[in-house]
Amino acid sequence: TSLPRSPLLSPGPDETLRALAAPPSPPGWRAPLDCVRANEQCAAEPGCSSRYRTLRQCLAGRDRNTLLANRECQLALEVLQESALHGCRCKRGMKKELQCLQIYWSIHLGLAEGEEFYEASPYEPATSRLSDIFRLASIFSGMEPATTSKSNHCLDAAKACNLNDNCKRLRSAYISTCSRELSPSEPCSRRKCHKALRQFFDRVPGEFTFRLLFCSCKDPACAERRRQTIVPSCSYQDKEKPNCLDLRGACRADHLCRSRLADFHTNCQATFQSLTSCPGDNFQACLGSYVGLIGFDITPNYVDASTTSITISPWCSCKGSGNMEEECEKFLRDFTENPCLRNAIQAFGNGTDVIPAPKNPNPAATVLPKAEKSPALPDDVNDSNTAYDTSVISTCTSLQEQGLKPNKSKEQSLCYSEAQLTTDVMPDQKSFTDPKGGSGRQRQSWLLLLVAVLVPALGL
Amino acid sequence: SRRKRARARHKPCELRELEVSVSELGLGYESDETVLFRYCSGTCEAAVRSYDLSLKSMRSRRKIRKEKIRARPCCRPLAYDDDVSFLDAYNRYYTVNELSAKECGCV
Repeated sequence: TSLPRSPLLSPGPDETLRALAAPPSPPGWRAPLDCVRANEQCAAEPGCSSRYRTLRQCLAGRDRNTLLANRECQLALEVLQESALHGCRCKRGMKKELQCLQIYWSIHLGLAEGEEFYEASPYEPATSRLSDIFRLASIFSGMEPATTSKSNHCLDAAKACNLNDNCKRLRSAYISTCSRELSPSEPCSRRKCHKALRQFFDRVPGEFTFRLLFCSCKDPACAERRRQTIVPSCSYQDKEKPNCLDLRGACRADHLCRSRLADFHTNCQATFQSLTSCPGDNFQACLGSYVGLIGFDITPNYVDASTTSITISPWCSCKGSGNMEEECEKFLRDFTENPCLRNAIQAFGNGTDVIPAPKNPNPAATVLPKAEKSPALPDDVNDSNTAYDTSVISTCTSLQEQGLKPNKSKEQSLCYSEAQLTTDVMPDQKSFTDPKGGSGRQRQSWLLLLVAVLVPALGL
Repeated sequence: SRRKRARARHKPCELRELEVSVSELGLGYESDETVLFRYCSGTCEAAVRSYDLSLKSMRSRRKIRKEKIRARPCCRPLAYDDDVSFLDAYNRYYTVNELSAKECGCV
């Protein structure tokens, strides 16, 4: 059957490579300046620094509408749009992160058209996909396929953390803080617990923290351990469940929380334009911004210890939303029913960071091995772009329900269900040398291809 | 190999480590979590001081008789490692302090 090829669904090798090597970058694109440096540059120019001072005064204490009504304030904003301050970004965990974010929002709050549902992330786009592949590969290459089928991945993750001095120290720090009872009425200091959690997730490398949070589980004990990772009795649950929009409002009042939420929306917003439902097929960026929410008002967690379905939510509900019910549900669904987030968590748990390969490899790219079978959509859903994500998921689900083994070459990149861990698909996926292994081989060939294309591209 | 074993037994006091499950610690906690247990092991022959020699002499001359004394240095932790936390089999978190040695010496 010949189906129309959508450039979004099956990009040619060139586009995919460019997307992998760096975030989309037009010619002459440079990494954005961080806002602290941009502020220094601005301070050195008399014109810029006085306008920026004016803008800050305009924003302090007054609401946006008065600001925009003021001619002088508006002029300052217009001038600053031409400066380095406009378009500056921040890095997660950078020195002076809060200062950087304050500078960012002082410009962007003035520019925004009122309260927006999704805000652009003040953080730099997640760096090169190349490093992600290596990092994920390095994590799982250390695992023995034979032992992983029986063991509890969450317990393994705790072991890996305990055997690393830095991880162990910061894990113990948040656990002891979060489980220290203050009085019978006060189970813990939530503020201190959140701070300790933020320190843990900011200072411990993702290879430890991601494994603890996103381990895959086959039994309830494992899933309960996964749910317990952030000590939810202190950091997550509360006596009452606030309204989600109120919670969002509280978060937006804080520069750091607002930025992390905007980053989550930027990197985890489900899209119909990619195989994985994630923006740019970048699982790591989504997981990273999810982790960035932990330790704030909006802290998300697993809602139960289910092994078959993963449901994530912040501690809030849409009760009492009044006429904002729809907006509230939409906000909540980005956590509870988000195919990008779910796929990213399951893919990490399974150790399969899948790069969607082109359906029909360009014949010019001779480095691509001939035997390569690229994961493709089941033919019957390929022609429907819009209903695409849901059809993939339902395809996977129905396959499991019928107890059928999914066709490896077609399905493995699309169905990241935990139930599949128990099938014979997994050992192949974990192994990097097994000649029959689909994804391992695929990953290797991609790396080869990347090296082959990037070396000349760098002008060597 | 006998000589090798003998040498191993006479290694000077130093920090060693074992990977053990929390249940194996014998502290009454039930958990499958693995922790790194660091302990002090080795001999302290090189660290004998005039104090030890004199104390031994006093004992042999029966000037000290009924007291419990120790006339040679002992390989013990000089400092303990940071706290260790873990989740037990009943999904409760515990934190144990001074579980593991950080530095050893002949004292």
